[in-house]
This record gives sequence, C-alpha cells and structure tokens, in this order.
Amino acid sequence: MSGIARKIIRYFASFVLITIINFTLPRLMPGDPVKNLIGEDVYVSEYVMEELRTELGLNRPLHEQFTAFLSDLLHLDMGYSYHLHAPVAEILLDRMGWTLLFVGVSVFIGALLGSLLGALAGWKPERKMSRFAGFAFVVCSCTPPYFLALLSLYLFSFKLGLFPSKGFYDAPEIGSVLHHLFLPVCVMSVFSASRNFLVMRGSVIQEKTQLYSLYARAKGLHDTGILFRHIIKNASLPVITLLALDFGFLFSGALFIEIIFSLNGMGTLIYDAIMGKDYPLLQGAFLVIALTVLFANMLADLLYALIDPRVRRPA
Amino acid sequence: MKVKTSAVKTLLEVRDLEVSFQGVKTVTALSGVSFSIGESETLALVGETGCGKSVVAHVIMRLLPPESRVKGTVELGGKTLLELSEKEMAKIRGREIAIIFQNPSLALNPVYSIGHQLAEPLRVHRKEGKKEALLKAVSTLKNMGFANVGECINYYPSWCSGGMNQRFLIAASTVLSPLLLIADEPSKGLDRKCVAELEVELKKLKVERKTALLLISHDLGFVRRLADRIAVMYAGEIVEISDSSSLFESPLHPYTRGLLNSLPEKGFIPIPGFSPPLSSPPSGCKFHPRCPFREKRCTEKHPELKEIGRMSVRCFLCP
Amino acid sequence: MKEACAERGPEKQLIQLETPGLSLPRERSFRSFQKQENFLGKFNQGGILLLAFFLFMALFPSLLAPYAPDERFIPYEAPSREHILGTNDIGNDILSELVYGARISMTVGFAAALISTLIGTILGLCAGYFRGALDELLMGFTDVVLIIPKIPLIIVLGAFLRPSIWVLIPVLGFMSWESTARVTRSKTLQLREAGYVKSALCMGFSPSHIMVSDIFPNIVHILLPKFMLATASAMISEASLSFLGLSDISMKSWGSMLSFAFFRGGFIREMWWWYLPPGICITLCVMAIALIGFGLETKGEKYAGEGADKA
Repeated sequence: MSGIARKIIRYFASFVLITIINFTLPRLMPGDPVKNLIGEDVYVSEYVMEELRTELGLNRPLHEQFTAFLSDLLHLDMGYSYHLHAPVAEILLDRMGWTLLFVGVSVFIGALLGSLLGALAGWKPERKMSRFAGFAFVVCSCTPPYFLALLSLYLFSFKLGLFPSKGFYDAPEIGSVLHHLFLPVCVMSVFSASRNFLVMRGSVIQEKTQLYSLYARAKGLHDTGILFRHIIKNASLPVITLLALDFGFLFSGALFIEIIFSLNGMGTLIYDAIMGKDYPLLQGAFLVIALTVLFANMLADLLYALIDPRVRRPA
Repeated sequence: MKVKTSAVKTLLEVRDLEVSFQGVKTVTALSGVSFSIGESETLALVGETGCGKSVVAHVIMRLLPPESRVKGTVELGGKTLLELSEKEMAKIRGREIAIIFQNPSLALNPVYSIGHQLAEPLRVHRKEGKKEALLKAVSTLKNMGFANVGECINYYPSWCSGGMNQRFLIAASTVLSPLLLIADEPSKGLDRKCVAELEVELKKLKVERKTALLLISHDLGFVRRLADRIAVMYAGEIVEISDSSSLFESPLHPYTRGLLNSLPEKGFIPIPGFSPPLSSPPSGCKFHPRCPFREKRCTEKHPELKEIGRMSVRCFLCP
Repeated sequence: MKEACAERGPEKQLIQLETPGLSLPRERSFRSFQKQENFLGKFNQGGILLLAFFLFMALFPSLLAPYAPDERFIPYEAPSREHILGTNDIGNDILSELVYGARISMTVGFAAALISTLIGTILGLCAGYFRGALDELLMGFTDVVLIIPKIPLIIVLGAFLRPSIWVLIPVLGFMSWESTARVTRSKTLQLREAGYVKSALCMGFSPSHIMVSDIFPNIVHILLPKFMLATASAMISEASLSFLGLSDISMKSWGSMLSFAFFRGGFIREMWWWYLPPGICITLCVMAIALIGFGLETKGEKYAGEGADKA
C-alpha cells in the first residue's frame, strides 16, 4: 500500500511543481511582469499598464497572488490572449482536441507496431529481417521527428501528390480527415514505434534467458507460441515504463510534426505564440501539456500494475 | 549396451549418449551414458555438481542449446526422440515426458496466475477451452490436498512460498499424466518440511498414477527414500547402477563408497581432490586421481560399464 | 573449492541467442558470440569513423568550408561549381554554413550532456551512498521532475529569454539527468558494500573522499555511454528547439539551418540541397554517437558481468 501512497504523493508533488512553475515564470523572467503576463507585442499606454497591474494583482503580496492564480485555474481561467483576442482557455480547448486525437492515435499505433516488430526481432535476432528492421529503426530514432515529417511531406505530398499538405480537413467529413491525417499519423507512428521497437527487442532477448521460458518449452509450447503466450507479457513491462517516460517527448515531437504539416493543432498555435510573444498563451499551453503528460503517466502506472502482479500484494 | 532391469516393461532407454558443447574449447559433458527406466519405476541419478546430471535431463527433453552436439539414442516407448523434428518433439513434451526444475519460483511465469499456468498444458495439447481447463486445474489441486483451491487458482507465483510453488509446478507438469517425469534437483533450496511434502507428492505420483520418475539429486537421503534404482555419475559418465538398498549397503565403485562416507551419519569424510575439468579429463579412469585404490592400469586404460548380476560398475577393481 | 570453480570458469560461459535451452553456468558459445561481436564491432568502427569526421568538421571548419559562413552571394541559388550546395535566402553559401554548423550543434550537445551527466552523477552518488531520507528525497525529486515535459518548458523559457546558446545549454543540461542519476545510484548502492569501501570507511576517510576516489572510478564505465547517449538526445532536442527559432541567430546550428530552410521558402521552392544536408548531418552525427554509446554500454556489461549478476 505504501507503494501506491508514494506514487500518489509524487504525482501530487509534480502537479504542485507544475502550477508553481506556471505561476512564478512570468513573475521571475526579465522584463516587466505586466508585459510578461499579457504578451510582448501588445501595444498599451502607460495608463492602461497601471490599470492592468492592479487588475492582475501584481501589487498584492505573493501568496495572495498565488491563491488568486489557483482559484482562477479551478475556474478554468488561464488569462486572455491579447494577440488572438480570446480567452486562453477557449483557444486551448479548441486546438487541444485535435492534437490529442493526433497524438493518441499515433502513439497507440506506434506502440503496437513497434512492440510487435520488436518482439519478433528479439525472438530471432540473427535473421536478416530483424537486423534490417533494427537498423532502420535506429536511424529513425536518431532523426529529429520533424525532419522525417519534412521528407515524407516532400516525397508523398509534393512530388507524388498523394496526400494533401495542409490542415486537418478540406470538408468536415471523416474521409477528408483521414486523408489529411494519414501522412502525419504515419510519420508520428514510425517515430513512436522506433523507440518501442528497440526497447521491446532488448527486453525479449533478456526474457528468453529466463527459466520460465525454458519451462514453457518443456511444457510443449512451440516457437512463437512461447513468445506470445509467455514472453510478451513480461517483456512489455519495460515498454510501458518507457511509454510513460517518453510521452512528454513524443508529445513534443507531435507538435513539430503538426507545424510541418500545417495542422491546426497545438503545434502551430505554439509557434505563432512564440513569434508573437504571446506569453499567456504559451503558459497556458505549457500547463495543459504538462497536465496531459502527468495524466498519461498515471495511466501507464495503472496499466503496469494491472499487468504485473508483483507490484500488488494480496490483502 | 543394454542394462538389465527387473521384469518390467522398459519405458525409456538411453544408449551410448554423448553430449559435447562447442565453445572456446570443446567440452564433453556426457560420454557413453546408458541406462533404462521401466514403467512406473523410479531411477535416481546422483553425483556432484557439474557431473552432467542436468545435461542428461535436458538431452532427453531435447532442451539443449544449439551449440550442443549429441550422439547416441534415446528411445521412449519405441520412438527415437533424438531424431524427431522440433515440432514433433514439442508434442511429446509435457504430454508424454514432463520435467520439473529446481527453482520453482523462477520456472513459473510471474505475470500469469497459477490457475492459468496449470491449465495451459490442457489448452495447448488437448485444445480444451479456457473454462474446462481451469476446472480441471482446480480439481487437480484439490487432489493434491490444497485447502482453499478457489483462492489458490488466482494467486501469482510471487505471492507463494517456494514449497507451494514446487507443488504447483508438479501439478502443472503432471496434469496430462505423462509417462515419465524428470525431476531436476527438486529438493534444492527447500526446507525440511517442504522436502517431506515433496516426497509425499512424488510417492503419490508413483503409486497412484504409475508415473515413471527420473530423479536427479545430490541429496542421498532424499533419493534413498524414493528411488527403486540409483545410478551414480562422475565426470560425465555413469560409474555405478544398482538398486537402492544394495547401493547403500554394499557400494561397489570407490567413488560411491567415498560419497556415502561423506554423509553426516558416516562421519563427513570428504573425498580428497576436485572433480576434473570437463575439457581435459584425466587419462584412463576419470576417477583415478582421487581413488585410494588406484593401480597402474587405472591410469592407462578406460574401464567399461560391467554388469554384475543386477548391478553395473565401471571399475577395474570390481570383480 | 574456489580453485575448482576457477578451473571450470573459462570454458563455461554460455550465452544462448536463439530458442531457450539449457544454460550451463557461463560458457561462451564461440560461433554465435563471435557473430554478435563482429556485428557490434563493425557498427562501432563505423560510428567512430563518422564521429571523427564530424569532430574534424567542428574543430577545423576552415579546412572544409570553401567560404566564410556569413559571406553573401546571390540568394536562392541552385547548386553550381562555386556553390556546391547553393545559397540560402540571404546569400550565404550553404556548404560553409553546414560545416560551421557542426561546431554549434556538437558543442551544445556535448556541453548539455556534460552538465546533465555531472548533475546526475552527483545526485546518484549522494543518494546511493547516504541512502535513507536523502535517498528518498533525491529520488522523489527526480521522479517529480521526470514527469514535467521538457521541450514545452524550454519553449516557454526560450520565448521569455533572449534566444542564445548560453541559455539553451544549461536548460537542456538541467532537464535530462534522471536516467544518469538512477543508474549511478543503483551502482553506488552495489559498490558501497564492497570490501574496499568498507575498509576505507574503517580507516576514517570522509564520505566525499570515498565517493571520489573509491566509488567514482568504478562507475566511469557506465557514465561514459550514458554521456554519449545524453549527447545524442541533447543534439536532437537542440535541433528541435532551433527549428522553432529559439536558438541564436548569430550562431547557426544545423537545426537553425533547417528552420530557415522551411520557413524562408526553401521547402516551397523545392530546394532540397538546403534542407536535406543539415537533416542528414544531424541524423548521422546522432547515430554515430548513439552507436558508440550502445557499443560502450554492451562492452561495459561484459566486464561488469559479475556485478550485474549479483545485482
């Protein structure tokens, strides 16, 4: 039980840390905190600045500001983007949905693909196919994700004209969405799969040497039967841990791919915000992304505990 | 060379088995091993660590790594096991021959429940459905005398003690009632109580289910209570085969005599010297460097396994 | 007894690579292991060669680059004899930019990895050596920081602060010490039980002395591959951040080149000679470093075999 308690404390601490970072960042960074809170390129007069200063509560003591910040957060008020003339929360909600769809599907496909291929490669590592796949995935994992996206955009979209190059859809119907998302999802899946492949392969090679896999063979299981009936469940544990750790990295990679493919998700939003120095939006985006990653980690922990009974003891 | 057994039908016959491993140096793990086991008979294989007992077990089950080179014959009820393809051998494993290993907690898969692993041979070999297989597993455990079977089924190996896991392992291996069960050092690492339970279990198998048993152990006391016949191995060879009472009362081979002398009851007298490295065995008789009775011919010529009545010995000095 | 075991030692080290079979306690299988060694060896050699090439590019750019990277010519030119890779949007020779970019990309990578390895080692050593409350605290801290997504954080920071590599390097360094810390900690936990550590304690050496002179030399062989892999990952992160324009404009790394190529019309105009070379360079350089890192890791495992087994 103490294991679960520890985990909950850690997640809570992470949550607290994230909110604190979000709070202190604009107030610590060089420059006028007001500017930091409303965005750099917003043109306001001195008088309005003073008004905003009081409104944003920058004159009040820190702990009061923090409480106000927390209560705002609970009301889903993350500030206002003067750049885009809309509340930050609204903008984020709109874009986040698409990004989550994109990331979720890609990570899922990538995990399945990478794990399956990795398991087969780990089972028979001497075969040419395994070595070739291993090499290909190593190359993929060493490439910046957006470069892969760039290449595929060039090849499949521009040169071969097979796929559209912009946006999530032309007409708001499923067929169009699928057509537009196909290429980005492929690239993202390959990227996610390459890391899973390498870990799964190593994990299977390790598990093959364990006694239970010999015993499975002694029971009369044959070749891939041993792999799928026994080894895979054990070998997938490090993969789940990796997925949790990596989710932040994968999510960030997805943002870049969105930029390349001009998809209207968080990626392009963040890029515009950087260019326009729209700080409230950036902070809001960071908060939302960090919380999503936190949540994904919790899910992965849950999945791990479901699969591995050694983590849970009987009452 | 056939070794005579009593008037029981022969189940397993091993003839002139030779196993070597290719490596930096070629290591001969077994040379000229021959023995047979009759139906429902218990043959024990004893010897020091590293003498090749486990290799015998793995050869019969064809579980050796690919670097191994095997020569000789292994016949189970007429079938030559060494010539079968992997697929055919897989059909025999678990169904006609089963094996239990010395580390039960490691042999069971930690992420699957006991019930699942017990039912697995039924699902794989007899293609039964999940539910029926689980029910059969439950009844098997009941027969073994487990108290709360309903709970046990859902336990995981990491939640249970070594002794319990060993019994689960036996249940899983014998659920299809194999003709021969190979037990590779089953009592290692278990405390006295568990060893006693294990003996009861194995005896039950022998008496009720008429399973033949190849018992591999270095625990002479354990072996004495269970085995019908005992084969003593040294440096990859069988040096003596005899029935259990004769071996303990009047051992023939000097090595066997030395082994028995090293028992606590007889005074804990160890055999001087160390077992020879398998890549460079001594000339002539492999035991001669440590034998107190050696003669000149023991260093030059290699003794064959001679039959003397119902026993067999590999020594020049035995009549 | 010990002699008997040692006698049998050299012959008995089996590593089976194919279907599970009996594993005698340690017997090296000649053929299959040789194959695996050769396989790794070739990659290792290739990796070292590649890395040497890139290092040369970084250290002596003037020998490889035809022009200075900021010399201006006619912009948007296609490859020709004077400009093998053409020119970019403000007229700089792309090949020269590429060669000089090596220096920036690799510096950021190595420097960030150095910082992260340093932090990770110190934290891991302290956590593993002192154990108890300090260990819990440090590892808890590590876990908590682990979850926070680095790149979004760096993006926010980068937007606030003026983009420069002196910001990028420490920030990247502070973001990736977790795995080094964990590995160092587990190895330290192991090593502190060793005889020579205990005898040093008895002789009254201070903890810091023991950590530096007794424990540290024995963890160097794991730190080195971790350092290389950290460099690889830092280079990719740097490439990603430069792509968003969060890096120095005055010091163009390969990532910045890619950024300009994409956002200043190189992609639309199908100027593959602008955006392909930097991407390929990043991939090859990272691959070289990663392969060497993996190779070192497996070699380290071979030699640390006993320790790993006892763990």
